[in-house]
Amino acid sequence: MIEQIYQIVKLNFRLEWQERQSYFSILIYILSSVYLSYLVFSDVISAETWNAFFWVIFIFSAVQAAYRSFHYEADQRFLLYYGMVKPENLVLGKIIYNFLYLYATGLFTALVFTFLMGNEIHSLGAFLFILLLASLGFSAILTFVAGISAKASNNPALPAILSIPLLYPQLISLSRVSLRSLTGFSWEVNAPLLIVLALLSLVSLLLSFLLFPYLWRD
Amino acid sequence: MKGIWWKLLGLLLVLFSLVFGMLGPVQRLPILNETIRVLYYHVPMWFAMVALMLTSLIYSLKALNTNNLAQDSYAFEAAKTGFFLASIGLATGMVWARFTWGAFWVNDPKLNGTAVTMLIYLAYFVLRNSVEDPFKRIRLAGVYNIFAFVMMIVFIGILPRLTDSLHPGNGGNPGFNKYDLNSDMRPVFYSAVIGWILIGLWLTNLRVRYKNLKEKHEQV
Repeated sequence: MIEQIYQIVKLNFRLEWQERQSYFSILIYILSSVYLSYLVFSDVISAETWNAFFWVIFIFSAVQAAYRSFHYEADQRFLLYYGMVKPENLVLGKIIYNFLYLYATGLFTALVFTFLMGNEIHSLGAFLFILLLASLGFSAILTFVAGISAKASNNPALPAILSIPLLYPQLISLSRVSLRSLTGFSWEVNAPLLIVLALLSLVSLLLSFLLFPYLWRD
Repeated sequence: MKGIWWKLLGLLLVLFSLVFGMLGPVQRLPILNETIRVLYYHVPMWFAMVALMLTSLIYSLKALNTNNLAQDSYAFEAAKTGFFLASIGLATGMVWARFTWGAFWVNDPKLNGTAVTMLIYLAYFVLRNSVEDPFKRIRLAGVYNIFAFVMMIVFIGILPRLTDSLHPGNGGNPGFNKYDLNSDMRPVFYSAVIGWILIGLWLTNLRVRYKNLKEKHEQV
């Protein structure tokens, strides 16, 4: 099982690397949206606005990055997978791939933010940990939604419509706890919120894992 | 549920709560005063909404296991009724908020939860409409419905408890908790809750039957 998941993750990296423009388009997407907020809001940047912009841009670039997750499987390759790969393994492999991808995206967004808007991060370790939790929960939900929209139709708005409301519970807790990592962080005080976030990610992971086989069979 | 008794019961309970909600005695609390009567017209909608969404979830689970189109359409109609009840709850709540908080909409965890719940179910409706094949729709909409219900419970059941809300009974505001709700109000409130749940189920039933008749008519 672990071997198969590892193969799926590796295959995904190789396939995406062959079509590098999808990676570059995400980078440009982030650069241009951060620069947009820099142009419009550079005078009023405080820790609060930094935090708000960061999460809004991160959520949209995460949706952009993940919605193509089942792009390659969308047509003929489906048939191949049915026989070879168990859906549980497939979804776990995709979630792991998206998790790595989203974490890299988040780090890049944070880097561009610090470059353009100044370094507001007070406790870097806490911020990186929060970003890790965020990527985990986001990748679980976004992979699942990408599976739905790959099967549903070619409605381009569908991934965003389906996933953003499901991400709100995490996003509200995330922006609250990450604001504290910008202004001064105490692990003891924020432990309950971090546990809630971890539990939310766990619930999303479990749901994706359990429901995906229903989605996948035809 | 078979028979007519539960429909009549629901009707009677709702009528009772509508009339005695206006006429019955209530206690005086600071700020709330007479607006405490909104308890009968606002809070039961949320109970009924959760009950209807639970019904929708149960039918989605059944449909996923049996691939039965009738159960799938019951799940859809139950979610629609739940959404309708949520809209009524939102409307009554907004009128009340205008008089006690001074604004129709404030940044409150419970209001956010409601808004997000309604957005999630709107997404569910959009998803249903963008899938043509009815058997594919059972699976796609079914799994999304399960996700939607879990996130709704997280949003209206767990997150508001982590922070204070402006709502009566939360964060030291006077209100509807067990110490404030007196014995005059309780019967009216409970009958409103049960009555609206039954009315919601009846409404769902009617919609499903109407849709079936329409499909038959189109086939003929």
